[in-house]
Amino acid sequence: MGGPLVIPVRDMLHEIIRRYNEAVYDTDRPRAMKVIDEAVAAGVTPEEVVFSVVIPGLEGMIDSISKKFTHNLAQHFMAAQIAAAVTDAMVARFAVPPASEGRVVIGNAHGDIHSLGKRIVIGCLRALMIDVVDLGVNVAPEDFVDAAVKQEAGVIAISSLMVHTARGPKGPVGVRQLLRAMDLEGRIKIVVGGAAYRFNENLYTIVEADAWAPDGISAGRVILDLLRERKP
Amino acid sequence: MTTGMERLLAAASGRTSDRIPIFVNMSDQGAPTLGLSIEEYFRSGEAVAEAQLAMREKYDYDNLWSLFYVGKEAELLGCKEILFSEYGPPNVLDFILKKPEDIHRLVIPDDIGALPEFAEQKKCLQILKRESAGRWPVCAYLTASMTMPALLMGMERWMDLALNGPFSLRDELLGKLSDFFRRQVRAIREAGADILIYANPFGSTDFVPMKFFEETSVPWMERDVTDTGVADMVYYCGMARLGEALTPVMERLKFPTYYLSPLDDIAAGKKVIGGRGLTAGVINDIELIDWTPEEVRAEVKRMLAAGMPGGKFFFGTGVMPFAIPEANIRAMVEAAKEFGAQG
Repeated sequence: MGGPLVIPVRDMLHEIIRRYNEAVYDTDRPRAMKVIDEAVAAGVTPEEVVFSVVIPGLEGMIDSISKKFTHNLAQHFMAAQIAAAVTDAMVARFAVPPASEGRVVIGNAHGDIHSLGKRIVIGCLRALMIDVVDLGVNVAPEDFVDAAVKQEAGVIAISSLMVHTARGPKGPVGVRQLLRAMDLEGRIKIVVGGAAYRFNENLYTIVEADAWAPDGISAGRVILDLLRERKP
Repeated sequence: MTTGMERLLAAASGRTSDRIPIFVNMSDQGAPTLGLSIEEYFRSGEAVAEAQLAMREKYDYDNLWSLFYVGKEAELLGCKEILFSEYGPPNVLDFILKKPEDIHRLVIPDDIGALPEFAEQKKCLQILKRESAGRWPVCAYLTASMTMPALLMGMERWMDLALNGPFSLRDELLGKLSDFFRRQVRAIREAGADILIYANPFGSTDFVPMKFFEETSVPWMERDVTDTGVADMVYYCGMARLGEALTPVMERLKFPTYYLSPLDDIAAGKKVIGGRGLTAGVINDIELIDWTPEEVRAEVKRMLAAGMPGGKFFFGTGVMPFAIPEANIRAMVEAAKEFGAQG
């Protein structure tokens, strides 16, 4: 008897993932951060925290959303915030800086000032190692395209809570017209999301987007897939 | 001729009438009805009342809708900048609560009915009440204390404060906004509203987890309505599903009417509500923009088949976007009359 209790790394990670996910689902940010702090203190590397805890946690939430398990806006908000905060803190301590998955410019459609969904998407993208340029709210089509060209972004992500900002001429349709006129459609894809699209799953085709996501967390995977398709 | 009020009272008491009540909440459509821009239209309570009366007459539904736009409530508390659009509802552009001190400084006026910012709404309600002469229920929209901060500080910052705190600051704000709700109820009732829509997306578990809902949302909802009573109120979560929240709301708040989301299962909602309240089955009016009139008719038929058995049911709309073709509004109301017939 006696001697230090040695927990195999795999078992320890399993327990960390369980406790972290539980805190995120309970929208308990302090508890989630405590789990991560304890993991790092116990010797889990920053890389393991991001790639074995945070990203699988987000992907687990995406999976359960797609299987129609119940989730809510508050959980999405907290999951994205916590994941982004932990990732930012851990990446600064990586032995080798991680490769970026690509770059996205994001904003609310012209006339739309409802930024909550956009913030969830941004948190999720940062945790997935995607560079994000936030253009804010009430963004004109020209500003989306200018920023995407200047920043060499592969995706323009446009959020609309209200149906008139999704369908209006200064929304995604306006962005599509500019991309077409500038022969940029092969290089830059349009992803849309927000409440308006949840009530008409075909709306993204009406507004001429390339893809849509029903919620901010799922948007991360949709955008990641589009960026990876573009890579040689 | 049977009136909308008679149909509503019959449905609420479980009796039949010639048909179920049909409630339609068009707002921005009033501007082209009078040949005005949306911005010009919402400046005048007389214009809003005139258009609401004209639209009810034109489509022949059962209620009168007095809401200008949701941001009007923020104007009552000091918001000065509204973003107008040619294609849809105006929105709050400048949030009045930017930092914690703004919450400490927020003062709720004692008499909302005497505020200059309430004058056009008051005029509109008074005209609707007078012209209705008891035939068509005059409906008003009020935002619950738990949701009102989204109009004053933005949804993003409100979600942050609601979930992460500081909780003393959150509760200070909610206390003030619960007072605001109660004083607004008094002003709106005095001006002539028959039905008050208690709008609370934070009262849906699509927005918040059940634990937060039960521990935080429900107590503030109880405070909102303790003194006002709920006899003329409709529980509405702003297009979010009532879902799991329905049972605790019914048990603890006892609203007489529940306005489902277009995403709720109508039959399931009615089963939970049972005979304890009136249920609105709500059409997905965002799809109304693109459906054909035949598709509209089929959807209304499906909804009413699910909702009408057992009575205590009426037909409702959600946000009625500006872009819905007139033919689809007519098809919707005609189908609701046809499939909602009870005589």
